Amino acid sequence: MLLGIVRRMLSMALTLFGVSVVIFVVLRLLPGNAVTASLGVSAGLLTHAQLAALNHFYGVGQPAIEQFFSWLGSTLSGNLGVSLASREPVSTLVGQPLLVTLELAAVAMVLGVLIGVGFGMVGAIRPGRWPDDVGQGVSVVGLAIPSFVIGTGLVTFLSSTFHYFPSSQGYVSFLQDPWLNLQQIFFPALTLSLGIGAAIMRTTRAAVLEVSGLNFTRTARGKGVSTQALVWRHLFLNALVPIVTMSGIQLGYLLGGTVIVEQIFVLPGLGRLLVSSINNRDFPVVQSVTLIFATGFVVVNMLVDVLYTIIDPRTRSR
Amino acid sequence: MGRLRKLRAVAATALAGGIAATLTGGAAALASPSAKSVVHASSSAPFVIADTSSVQKLDPDVITNFLDFQALGLIYDTLVQENAKLQLVPDLATSWSFSDGNKVLTFQLRKGVKFDDGSTFTSRDVVASMKRVVAPKTGDASASFVASVRSVVPEGPYKVKFVLSHPDVSILEGLTSVNLAMLPAKAIANGSIAKHPDGTGPFKFSSWSPGNSFVMKANPAYWGGKPTLSTVKIETIPSEQSIASALQANSVQLGLLTEPQVANHLPSAYKVQKVLSLSYRALMLQDRTGPLANVNARRAIACATNRKQILGASVFGQGVVVGPVPLGPFASKPVSSLCPTQDLAMAKSFLKKAGMVNGFSFTAITSTDLDPTSAAQAVAMQSQLAQVGIHMNIQNLAGDAYIQDWLKGNFQAAFAENGANPDPYVMYGRYFGAGANLGVPAGYSSAALQKLLLQGDEAASTANQAKIWAALSANLTNNAVWIWLFDAFNYAALAPSVHGFSISPVTGTSLQALRSTTVS
Repeated sequence: MLLGIVRRMLSMALTLFGVSVVIFVVLRLLPGNAVTASLGVSAGLLTHAQLAALNHFYGVGQPAIEQFFSWLGSTLSGNLGVSLASREPVSTLVGQPLLVTLELAAVAMVLGVLIGVGFGMVGAIRPGRWPDDVGQGVSVVGLAIPSFVIGTGLVTFLSSTFHYFPSSQGYVSFLQDPWLNLQQIFFPALTLSLGIGAAIMRTTRAAVLEVSGLNFTRTARGKGVSTQALVWRHLFLNALVPIVTMSGIQLGYLLGGTVIVEQIFVLPGLGRLLVSSINNRDFPVVQSVTLIFATGFVVVNMLVDVLYTIIDPRTRSR
Repeated sequence: MGRLRKLRAVAATALAGGIAATLTGGAAALASPSAKSVVHASSSAPFVIADTSSVQKLDPDVITNFLDFQALGLIYDTLVQENAKLQLVPDLATSWSFSDGNKVLTFQLRKGVKFDDGSTFTSRDVVASMKRVVAPKTGDASASFVASVRSVVPEGPYKVKFVLSHPDVSILEGLTSVNLAMLPAKAIANGSIAKHPDGTGPFKFSSWSPGNSFVMKANPAYWGGKPTLSTVKIETIPSEQSIASALQANSVQLGLLTEPQVANHLPSAYKVQKVLSLSYRALMLQDRTGPLANVNARRAIACATNRKQILGASVFGQGVVVGPVPLGPFASKPVSSLCPTQDLAMAKSFLKKAGMVNGFSFTAITSTDLDPTSAAQAVAMQSQLAQVGIHMNIQNLAGDAYIQDWLKGNFQAAFAENGANPDPYVMYGRYFGAGANLGVPAGYSSAALQKLLLQGDEAASTANQAKIWAALSANLTNNAVWIWLFDAFNYAALAPSVHGFSISPVTGTSLQALRSTTVS
């Protein structure tokens, strides 16, 4: 098992290196640079001397290989560089937004799992009854309606009807004001969780239904195992692998999926930072934020792999 | 049994809805604007302004973002400024005069003005500020406004002389830009300007969270009197719909909007002020190669264009059709001396003169990244031109790709949103003047235009200027150099509790009314 984890970590490092190369190349393929992104068409008003001075200031025109290894070397030593737009250290710019996005993703994941597993289990145990119908309805809504539509609708409804839009008051951390912080995070998390919950719900329902038709379930029922024990110990545990897989995939996507929801709900998270940095061609920030998202995705996948070995001992030998 | 199940489903849904309503309603009570709390102007509660953009830089000499001008315009002062009627009025200079055939401009400076660091504003600061503006390493895009300045000479602490290389009346208009604000010589010397704004304006810099918020405090030593608001916070809310929601949730007092569909759908209790933006939309044409090199082909486009319809299609009619000079004392009247309204017969006759009876094709670039309305403008114009056989292909580009092509003049036609100014020389000297910086994207040059621009810049009397600028407008539209389309409204949406605010069309001073704004 230890060897497996080491192997996975090596593969993770290789994946992240690949991701860093792709990010770097894609950013350089985009037309424009920090000077034109900063000045727009006004860049045409600069004299040659002004343009040369600004190019030097922003590091425009340096060889790409030199830029890449300089960035990679600094990143590995914990220095993410300096933002071209604000001249602030990237680590400072990324710190607070990272916490916001992690909090949002965690709450959305918890809500998504509660919605998904809850409705999925209920639907599978009593298929065709009204709770199953409600669950199916929620899953159709979650899958069919994009999060930006749900988010915009929710914000508009709450603000126009109840004059309530807590995140527009400026973000406060949990330590500053726990009650306000939870209000600010709850609605965007709910918006995100509908999509996640829908996917988990469908997987849970299908997996539990499949397990409930297997011989050992019938045997357990025949032996007089209580309904609660049957549901949670026999059905749920045996259906857990696809549920964990789906939850892991959703969590990975969730880290990137916060971009639009953060815009709508005015949360100063990593997604919002990424969008503004792309617009400003602020390469050090874009590279770092994208790498953080990629690392999150890869780490979640590795944790899912490790969880498999805990849930299903048969996978340990593979 | 089936009916019972359905009843249970309905009951459960109603229960869930009730719980949600209770939860949100409870919270709403906490946040409702009808709560009896009253925020007085003197309280420490910040006055919150929301904008989709964020303050991006703190150095006034290098800013280009509209919100940066608005925010730093509250911290810094310029020598002269424009009032809401776009007239030049004193700011840090109490008076000015031209001499030596308009080649020397002398300013009398305001006395008793303090920078935020406590130092006194004198001619030494003017000299240091102007030196910084023209230094190449500063990268000030507005340095071209003072390109005629040969030297800045102090004559005592409160008098300063600008010696010009040629008569340049328009320099006064250029000096209203926040890019040419007065900075303290001490801060320039120690290089702290880009990190900590230090001006003489009504508000002082307090804090900045890049991408999120920018906070200012009232300047008690402001020469025009301490502002009534103690703290002003500019909050970034990336979507205009969310700004409208924040206004209704009473967490924002002033929302800066550009989308008419959002501004016009706010409840009537929210006062929405509208002002023409200091930018105009135009279809820029390159006359160097292809069919657009033919003046009659360009005229055919001008006559086939229905500007009012484009205004309606792209911004719901929320703006005005304009000519080359969209606003100010020299605004183009009529908006075009050639086909001020759509004239298809005239368009066809121009096509005949051009030897293109069956029409022609060309490609226009747009960028919805830079101007979200540009695609709608292009589609509306495409169908209008098709009526006379002119086929306009539309190519939508990403923001930076558009900028690159635009700067290189690598387009046949470009839907553009260009900055406007009451002074036509400031607007068009950079495009059509002799040695213009933006001559390549302008795509047109003529000796007649250069002469008119020079005459207008040197003209001493307003009456003379008016005559010259009218001739300039006529020349530009008669030759269909570009097709000028419209100027759209910008909106300021105010919470019901805000009093005494009115938005100005001038970029750097559009929020100046905050000096006397109160909140009840």
